Amino acid sequence: MVGRVLAIAGNAFREAVRDRVLYNLVFFVLLLTAAAIFIGELSGGQERKIIVDFGLSAMLLFGVFIAIFVGIGLVYKEIERRTVYAIFSKPVGRGEFIVGKYLGLCLTLLVNVLLMGAGVSLALVYVSRGFDPLVWTIWPSIFLIYFELAILTAVALLFSSFSSPALSALLTFFVFIIGHFSSDLKGLATSLGSTAARVFFTAIYYLLPNFANYSFVTPAAHGHVPGIPHVAASVLYALLYVAVVLAATVVIFSRRNFK
Amino acid sequence: MTSRKRHRASWAPGGIIVLSLIGSILVARWLDMRRPKIQTEVQQESLYLTGNTLKRMSLSFNGLVADWYWMRSLQYVGGKILNAQGPVQLDDLGQLDMKLLAPMLDVATTLDPEFMEAYMYAAVVLPGLDEEEAIRITRKGIAANPNEWRLYQHLGYIYWQREDYASAGQAYSEGATIPGAPPWMQAMKARMAAEGGSRDIAREIYARMYQEAGDPNVKEMARLRLLQLQSMDQRDVIRKLLDIYKTRVGKCPASWQEMAPLLRAAQLPVADGGPIDPGGTPYKLLPNSCDVDLEPGSSIPYK
Repeated sequence: MVGRVLAIAGNAFREAVRDRVLYNLVFFVLLLTAAAIFIGELSGGQERKIIVDFGLSAMLLFGVFIAIFVGIGLVYKEIERRTVYAIFSKPVGRGEFIVGKYLGLCLTLLVNVLLMGAGVSLALVYVSRGFDPLVWTIWPSIFLIYFELAILTAVALLFSSFSSPALSALLTFFVFIIGHFSSDLKGLATSLGSTAARVFFTAIYYLLPNFANYSFVTPAAHGHVPGIPHVAASVLYALLYVAVVLAATVVIFSRRNFK
Repeated sequence: MTSRKRHRASWAPGGIIVLSLIGSILVARWLDMRRPKIQTEVQQESLYLTGNTLKRMSLSFNGLVADWYWMRSLQYVGGKILNAQGPVQLDDLGQLDMKLLAPMLDVATTLDPEFMEAYMYAAVVLPGLDEEEAIRITRKGIAANPNEWRLYQHLGYIYWQREDYASAGQAYSEGATIPGAPPWMQAMKARMAAEGGSRDIAREIYARMYQEAGDPNVKEMARLRLLQLQSMDQRDVIRKLLDIYKTRVGKCPASWQEMAPLLRAAQLPVADGGPIDPGGTPYKLLPNSCDVDLEPGSSIPYK
């Protein structure tokens, strides 16, 4: 089973590379180079902070677009091109297919995030005219960004398993936005008088991913590193959340009739 | 299709792109030239979004949005200084109408509460415009970063500027208790009480500011203030020398050359027989009042 999942994952990664998904890196590098060169004129001595804020924010934004637009196309394209019939005529389960596709895109995002992280580190060396401690201290924050993207990819896959690409993209984007408002949802739940409303908002708070756990860009720009317990808990949360979402995707996808 | 027609067809889209692009640039320039100037009231319109609202709306990009507001603040101040009549010091911008600066720095520090350079800028630039806002933003920074002794240094600087030496001493004293604070913070408390308005205190404050500022404009401002203090000391020495000359000769010198031996003996920097200020410009002799002053073209701030 693992071999089949890995084969599908490898194929999904190759497909993403063939679809020129990694070309976004060229645009990222151009953006970062321009920022590194010109930001010195505008930043009032804050080049290092701005390079980190800018680089990691761009990394998250590019990652979100890849997770959404590539994620929703993973399953949809296979159905649209009818290649899914060829896959399921072989001894491949629908669960293996979904998990393989998911892991393939996660691998694409990992390569993307690692290369972007290296780009930000190089830009820091350039603006600092030498080694800068931020070159190392930004990596835990990059690690958290990757897990945020991993959750979002699973959400995109879930929506694409039962909805059209446009609607899936919209819904996933909404989840990304609402996921950053989680603390407000919790605050709303505690401040409401009605029990039903409180239960509703509490349920929403726990059902939707809490991306605030992965927002460490601003402190990272000041050289702060998240604590190991925080990182470990955030990774565990991501793994559990992804497991739930992928399981739901498999259930929905298994019920789809391709005849 | 003949090969000539094919060739023409392949060049046509390229030609359309180039010509249309040139046309669009020309039209854009024409529109720019005829666009009515934005009224000052519109330019100075208050920010619609508060820092807390922006913090929510910026998702996890709050650091980036804070940077944006920080750079806008710098551009705002820079633009106002460029448009001002005559030289303006960064810590003396009261004459310029800059009511958006405080809200912009407030937004930047709300979005990124650890943005130390923005707090420093607020402490240096805002007192000239709105002392209370400068104190409020600095105190907000202290509440968000209770372990940052530099914020107490900024607060002390604001109080020192408004000549409230007791509050300034209190701020330095509170900052001195924070682990990692340098020993001079504690010393400043006692010095504020004893010699709050002295040049030595001013020199100490600007020297620290010069060492710690990241923003080149703040650094330059501190450097000029240090030169100004040096120039004040030099002018005091020159005034004493003028008194000595007047006592000896019975009149004021008509030119610096007449008192060249005295200037040399006092080891003042001299060029072409006359003393020069720390910026390299000769001092102006005022023979009628037997006094010395800065030349109008000097780089040393007048006030």
